[in-house]
Amino acid sequence: MRRTARLLTGGVLAAVAAAGPAAPAHATGTGTAGLEVRPVGVVPGERVTVRTAACGPAGAAAGDAGAVGAGRFTLAPGTRRGGASGEFRVPPSAQPGTYEIVADCAAGGRRLTGDLVVTLASARQPVAPRGIVKTGVGGALGPDPVQTAAGVAALAVAAAGGTWLLHRRARGDGI
Amino acid sequence: MRKVTDTAIATVTAVALGAGAWLLHSGAEASAPPQPSAAQARSGGEEIRSAPALPPLPPSPPDRVRIPSLHVDAPLTGLGLTPAGSLDAPPAERRDLAGWYRAGTTPGETGTAILAGHVDNADGPAVFYGLGSLRKHSTVEVDRRDGTVAVFTVDAVEVYDARRFPDEKVYGPAARPELRVITCGGPYSRATGYQGNVVVFAHLTGTRENRPWAVSAKSRPARDADSP
Repeated sequence: MRRTARLLTGGVLAAVAAAGPAAPAHATGTGTAGLEVRPVGVVPGERVTVRTAACGPAGAAAGDAGAVGAGRFTLAPGTRRGGASGEFRVPPSAQPGTYEIVADCAAGGRRLTGDLVVTLASARQPVAPRGIVKTGVGGALGPDPVQTAAGVAALAVAAAGGTWLLHRRARGDGI
Repeated sequence: MRKVTDTAIATVTAVALGAGAWLLHSGAEASAPPQPSAAQARSGGEEIRSAPALPPLPPSPPDRVRIPSLHVDAPLTGLGLTPAGSLDAPPAERRDLAGWYRAGTTPGETGTAILAGHVDNADGPAVFYGLGSLRKHSTVEVDRRDGTVAVFTVDAVEVYDARRFPDEKVYGPAARPELRVITCGGPYSRATGYQGNVVVFAHLTGTRENRPWAVSAKSRPARDADSP
């Protein structure tokens, strides 16, 4: 399910990116941007991770996802890749669309933004397979080894018997 | 006395010759997998008679599938899609392994859950070799990770040609908990392999805890379920 959601989301994003200048410019690292939102595309009810290195290696930030109805959250420093990160959950009632997520560095008052794309939950319907499943190579159609061995053994017995009888006849013992 | 011995040896020789010829001949061609007969096909009234189904179970991934009448008891692996959009098959080298479409409905949930397994591999018959001989009203049981067993009753067993495969009928959504069990079938040619699929259609008719002695009151065997 989740994998499919990501695939579908990826498709949506690719479509958005293909649309050119309208694509959301997230995490550009300049001025008022600098906020990394992962995943950029979500369905209502999913969790979103927000990360930034723009507040310095040990700088915290106050996040605001009020635009999508998720309220405030904290970006705490100490992530593996440096910088600060925080999480919020997109409310199940969120409508599809692009929302701006905001964070203010605790020191310096710098404002960072990033885009979040909410897609419809119905887009998560899994893709149904098409066509037949390749579940056989015909290996069952070859000779049955046990039966073949039994057949060979029976023929060997017949050959032995036949040889013996012919041998008797050749010696003139008669049958 | 000698005559008696000779006669006995001649008889044994003749019988062995006949048996050997028959064994070699039939061994080479009698092992094609069974195919469903027209009597096991879908029929209009069947669906109405078998409704209503049980209330659906919550989603839970399946771990094993059992088909008692075929002596099938196999673990399940998750299956995805091939780049062409068809359902992937379990690894061919595992003859005892079946699979389920993990992006789809879990067995017991409302909708169409899909299981697939090999009819054979290069070494001989595999997990769903006998699937084509399954009959209407047989049961298919699926062990789920939440500890419940979803019991399905077979509505139909069909064989479909690859060129006219009814995607919607086989994979399409359902308003009740349904199950499809798929394996290769139809005519075989060395160049193209099996040219179709055997598809078992079933719907949920019972649930129980995964303990043989604890049959839930909800379990309701379908009509004629015990008849051969």
